[in-house]
Amino acid sequence: MTFLDLARRNALRKPLRAMLLMVCIAMAFLIYGLTTSFLDGAQGASAASEDILGVTSAGGRTQALPMASLAALSAIPDVAGVAYVTRLRGFVEVEKNVVAVSAADMPRLMDVNGKGLGLTPALLQAMEVARDRVLVGRALADAQGWAVGQRVAITAFNVTGQDGGRDWRFEIAGIFEGETASTDTYFMIARYDYVNAMRARGRDTVDAFVVRPSAQVSPAVLAARIDAQFANSASPTRTQSEKQFLEAFLRQYADVGLLVNLVVGAAFITLLMIVVNTMIFAIRERTFEIGVLKTLGFSRSHIVTLILVETSFIFLLGGGIGLLLAWLAAQVAGPELGLVFSSMVLIKGVAIMAGLSLATGALPAIAALRIPVINAFRTR
Amino acid sequence: MTGAQDIYIQLESVSKAYRVAGQAIPIFSNLDLAIPRGDFVAVMGPSGSGKSTLLNMLAGIDRPDAGRVRIGTHHLDQMGEAARGSWRAHHMGIVFQFYNLLPMLTAAENVELPLLLKPVSARERRLRVERVLDLVGLSGRERHYPGMMSGGQQQRVGIARAIVADPGLLLCDEPTGDLDRASADDVLDMLQTLNQVLGKTILMVTHDPQAARRAKRTLHLDKGVFIEESRAAE
Repeated sequence: MTFLDLARRNALRKPLRAMLLMVCIAMAFLIYGLTTSFLDGAQGASAASEDILGVTSAGGRTQALPMASLAALSAIPDVAGVAYVTRLRGFVEVEKNVVAVSAADMPRLMDVNGKGLGLTPALLQAMEVARDRVLVGRALADAQGWAVGQRVAITAFNVTGQDGGRDWRFEIAGIFEGETASTDTYFMIARYDYVNAMRARGRDTVDAFVVRPSAQVSPAVLAARIDAQFANSASPTRTQSEKQFLEAFLRQYADVGLLVNLVVGAAFITLLMIVVNTMIFAIRERTFEIGVLKTLGFSRSHIVTLILVETSFIFLLGGGIGLLLAWLAAQVAGPELGLVFSSMVLIKGVAIMAGLSLATGALPAIAALRIPVINAFRTR
Repeated sequence: MTGAQDIYIQLESVSKAYRVAGQAIPIFSNLDLAIPRGDFVAVMGPSGSGKSTLLNMLAGIDRPDAGRVRIGTHHLDQMGEAARGSWRAHHMGIVFQFYNLLPMLTAAENVELPLLLKPVSARERRLRVERVLDLVGLSGRERHYPGMMSGGQQQRVGIARAIVADPGLLLCDEPTGDLDRASADDVLDMLQTLNQVLGKTILMVTHDPQAARRAKRTLHLDKGVFIEESRAAE
């Protein structure tokens, strides 16, 4: 037997109570795991780059910028690379099956953000075969059950072709994986020259320029410089990092991060109160036994350690189960539902477990310390 | 007579009072006691005579208001709580009236508890536990929980726990108070063996005259004063 065994036996001496506590903790960590995985997932903001800049119209994202701005943008000092994108949103077969297409100049996109998207020379080569080819993100391909070589049709919401129709047909040239699990890959990349040539309106415009700053300049400084350059032009710009852009986009609907933090915070505060209350009662029930242990020579630090290990045991087991369930949910649901259980979610979860177990164990441990042995024996 | 250097337990002018509802209730006033190493002493007396307080002070779980409590070379009245705890772990074993075993631990695990405080390997701990359980006649009951044992058997586990760390002093608080006669005799046989064969110094608080007769001498305590001493041969 070790101290750990002793703490474990104490924790499990009332199995029903221990189990209910663990279920309670598991639920709190399941909520934590799911909500933070959601933040890290298809919401994409946490994986988005702070170094890549997006240049959109100062009048709003729905307003296009002229392709003519490309030359002026490229000439700004410390601009290391520029790509451009026009977006096409639509659906596949049924309206709720929404997909997004980013039409880009492939070599420029490769240069500016190829690493982040997981683009390879082989994928680029596959795109050169025909103008109507697309690269599909792994999350989108898995969700739709698409494979390389397959032809897909997308009905655009607002981009009509020259024939007046809204159906766009593409052939899948390859699948890009994204640099990390939390990279948003729930979209496809088409060739700009194809979309631009086939659309009825808005030719030679782009929805956004994507800028890679040189190593010598901070992205924020360059963003200000770009906006200053176009401030008095016919097409003033608003330049943000990719991360800022995505976060601003999400805030149109709600401050998801704040909501998640409030939900997780409420869950953990409730949990803290339940566990502290239960542990104080559990330790109070054992006042006599603590007196016996002290009589046998167990020191104050031994008693405190036993109680903290006991609460840690309950937290690690319950919290571990909760995080495991969240991980399983993320595996089953996948990134297309916005769940990515990253290593950071796990590390933060374990840190919260450790912090909460110390916080909940501290109060009963202090209470146990204050009991003189003589008084402990009177409690029988 | 015993020389000063042979005295193992010594109380000098010990005073103790408890405050109840703001009023001081004196337990001892200038109490003296000297017990040589290897002695087996029973302390008898009516309820409220101070037997338990004496035992608590010798165990270092209570402190005198005045006077000195020395056991071996350790002056308990001058030691802090942590030092007294450490002293208990290394030099004293205690046997309780109601055994006070931890219900979620097996007999072997209960006995092993004091060894967790010593730098002893797991293998050595297991061997020592087996040895003392064998000594108290409980071989084969290692994995039994307290709830599966009779009172006499539980008290034997309590005795095994008290001696497993090989302390010089054994304090017994009514060790037969909750047992039938046959079980009580078994426990007293065991205590006598520990005293006579292993040389443990034993101080036993008891109400039972038959139990007291097993000791080498009996001290009678009344209102905080030793009023009489009788020896086994007398």
